[in-house]
Amino acid sequence: MKFSLGVCTAIAAASLAGGAPGVQPVSLDPNTIGKAPTTSWPTFNGDYSGQRYSTFTQIGPANVNRLTQRWTYKITGVGAQRGAPVPTIKCTPLLVGGVLYITIPDHVWALDARTGNPLWHYDWIDHGGHLVGQRGVAIWKTTVYFLTPDNWLIALNANTGQELWRKDYADARKQYFSTSAPLIVKNHVIVGVGGDAMDMPGFLDSFDPVTGDLQWTWWSTPRKGDPALKTWPNEAASDHGGGMTWMPGTYDPELNLLYWPTGNTNPVFAGQGRPGANLWTESIVALDADTGKLKWYFQVSPHDTHDFDNTTAPILFDRVMDGKPRKLVAQAARNGFFVTLDRETGHYLVVKPYVPLDYSSGLSPQGEPIPIPDKDPTVGGSINIVNASNWPAPAYNPKTGLFYVNSVEGKAIYYLTDDTAQPSGYGGTGDGIGRSQRVLQAIDPLTGNAVWQHAYPNLNNAPSTVGPSILTTASNLLITGDDQKNAIIYSADKGQVLWHHEIGANESGGVITYLLDGKQYIVFGAGDTLYAWSLPQ
Amino acid sequence: MRHRVFPALFAAGLVVVAGIAGSQETQTGAQEGAQAQATYQTMTPEQRAAATRAFLGLGPEPDKAAAARGTTLFQQNCAFCHGPQARGATGSSLITADEVLGDDHGEHLVAFLKRGRPEKGMPAFATMSDDQLTDIAEFLHLQVEAVANRGTYHMLNILVGNAAKGQVYVTEHCTSCHTAETFVHIGSRFRSPEQLQRGWIWPVRPNDSEDSSKAIVATVKTRNGSTIAGRVTQVSDFRITLVDHAGETHVVEREPGVRVEIKDPLAAHQQMIMTLTNDDMHNVTAYLETQK
Repeated sequence: MKFSLGVCTAIAAASLAGGAPGVQPVSLDPNTIGKAPTTSWPTFNGDYSGQRYSTFTQIGPANVNRLTQRWTYKITGVGAQRGAPVPTIKCTPLLVGGVLYITIPDHVWALDARTGNPLWHYDWIDHGGHLVGQRGVAIWKTTVYFLTPDNWLIALNANTGQELWRKDYADARKQYFSTSAPLIVKNHVIVGVGGDAMDMPGFLDSFDPVTGDLQWTWWSTPRKGDPALKTWPNEAASDHGGGMTWMPGTYDPELNLLYWPTGNTNPVFAGQGRPGANLWTESIVALDADTGKLKWYFQVSPHDTHDFDNTTAPILFDRVMDGKPRKLVAQAARNGFFVTLDRETGHYLVVKPYVPLDYSSGLSPQGEPIPIPDKDPTVGGSINIVNASNWPAPAYNPKTGLFYVNSVEGKAIYYLTDDTAQPSGYGGTGDGIGRSQRVLQAIDPLTGNAVWQHAYPNLNNAPSTVGPSILTTASNLLITGDDQKNAIIYSADKGQVLWHHEIGANESGGVITYLLDGKQYIVFGAGDTLYAWSLPQ
Repeated sequence: MRHRVFPALFAAGLVVVAGIAGSQETQTGAQEGAQAQATYQTMTPEQRAAATRAFLGLGPEPDKAAAARGTTLFQQNCAFCHGPQARGATGSSLITADEVLGDDHGEHLVAFLKRGRPEKGMPAFATMSDDQLTDIAEFLHLQVEAVANRGTYHMLNILVGNAAKGQVYVTEHCTSCHTAETFVHIGSRFRSPEQLQRGWIWPVRPNDSEDSSKAIVATVKTRNGSTIAGRVTQVSDFRITLVDHAGETHVVEREPGVRVEIKDPLAAHQQMIMTLTNDDMHNVTAYLETQK
């Protein structure tokens, strides 16, 4: 692939360079990324904590009913992509210097945040990979970083969309594909990868933001000589054991630790060829941001056989417990357990089901759920839960002290389609049975108990991939949506519906907020359209 | 509404489902999902495989005729070290090997096989013709396909239960709502044991108005005190849509003062699903399969 694959169209590049009213050249100081997001939304989660919390109070319960749609931007001219009849915005937009950056697979747009008008568009022609989604870009100084379905890290000029360089980091022929947003930490561009059709090992790469040179790689499964190999039957199984890193992690600057969620084990449903816990798949891992070295791990789904792909965001927050300040990390895992850990040590405080489930016989001394073997997929079928959550972002509000997640309660029949001693690939299938119920939950992370719940009425079964991300604010707003095209704002403390509005599609990506010209905006994607809201002039 | 763990999606005229679609699924409305699911069910195996191939970006399709010719050659020359399905024995698995995954139709593999890898104990297959080696390459690509393309997966024999015990379960648990008539010939109403198993646990709700026996129904008391009853076609926190006995559609905004009561005739099945054991499921399926 030596030929040029990407095309940039400068739609209004002149206005950027020429200093059109209000639009200044974009440049982001990487040291500001960890701060509470105000006049920018500079990284996937807004800041490093993953809380998706805004300190703003301009829009609050008293005036939310005056919320007004300011502009929309509809993606046109792309058409059906492999796997999607119309483009679906699954990214969390970034906002820097009055410019919004949004993505779908193979495409990046820079939009004028004051009007929604496009400034430039970058179009990549992929040569493989899975076009299932794209979570957004990262930005460092004047460079935007974008991951393609066929695993190229593309560096673009943030002001013009011109390609600066590209680097391929995984082979699409091995069914690796990329949907993630890179994470910028200091001088690291941290890139995760997806792909579980073949049995390949997951990894996390760190690249130099200027040159694109590889700085370090962390593998999701142990290599020769590592004591963790004892959780695999042999080295070959570990080398092909999965554990993809397809969602952005979080980061604690004080500890200099990355918290990365790792995906499902391979082969996916057929576990008979890989007896053992299968580290470090299905885990939260703490990695040194400068070296990629593992500091600790907590395996949320030991020996997973249900595609409990543990990629939901681990959220970082601090609390005082027994008079002592504690640094914590919590996750509403796809296996149905709510997990709160000490993020310095990885020791568990809470591991508790947050949806009805009956596949675990208890916790190990380390706090890891012990699966009941009878619940594993079988040839005749085995009933277990559907994924309780998925990639749409959860949130944490320091004012309420609550953790918020759009969860799903329901069951599926899991079949083994490959009962040989050496299964490969998925080796089985999961087929939802009965009604599944979406429930918005506000969970106390110190107990794992729901303080309030809101079940979304629905005739159909909405899976966990429907269930937009969540944002909360200091003014007690919780912004999310249902699966019937309603954007909904709840009170964060009680779960009262404060506002709703029917839009053109279900909210499909991250919800962000920022201050622009003194006005607070709320922006999210729904289907092929980006919506911007604020109070009226 | 049938539903899989993972939602379904459309792919440029091709539909790919759900059970095959994997972890980070595209997002579609539940309605589209159900529609896609229905379409997927009516596809031929070849169409399913092709749709999944396109969806996953799996690359070119293996040449099945060549692969069939290559089967014998592989079993005679390669299976001893690499296993009958090329998943490894004394030698390594070939289906995840760089040399195999980097090749489409033998353009790299043929030369590789001619050379072999003597330093690692793999002999050269220099005496085999290019055509024969291409056939072996296609055999290997078909083994990869059988793993990576979930659209090619098929159920094994799911009839693992005890029919006599299943009959006891039906007598004890089902006859409070159902007469014996329900189960007459039930085994012949489904295309496969897997469909039977799904169908008895969670019957399909007919989508049309002619059979509303399994439809979710609601009684809505409006703000002016009138009552509307009918089949629910949509419900959210903010709106409910129902079709009454006369076939008239009513859209009611769920404002303060509006009361909605919803009844699901499959509620007992939903309860059963939450506690059904695998043994009971297998036994009942085995019993009902005998009712043809």
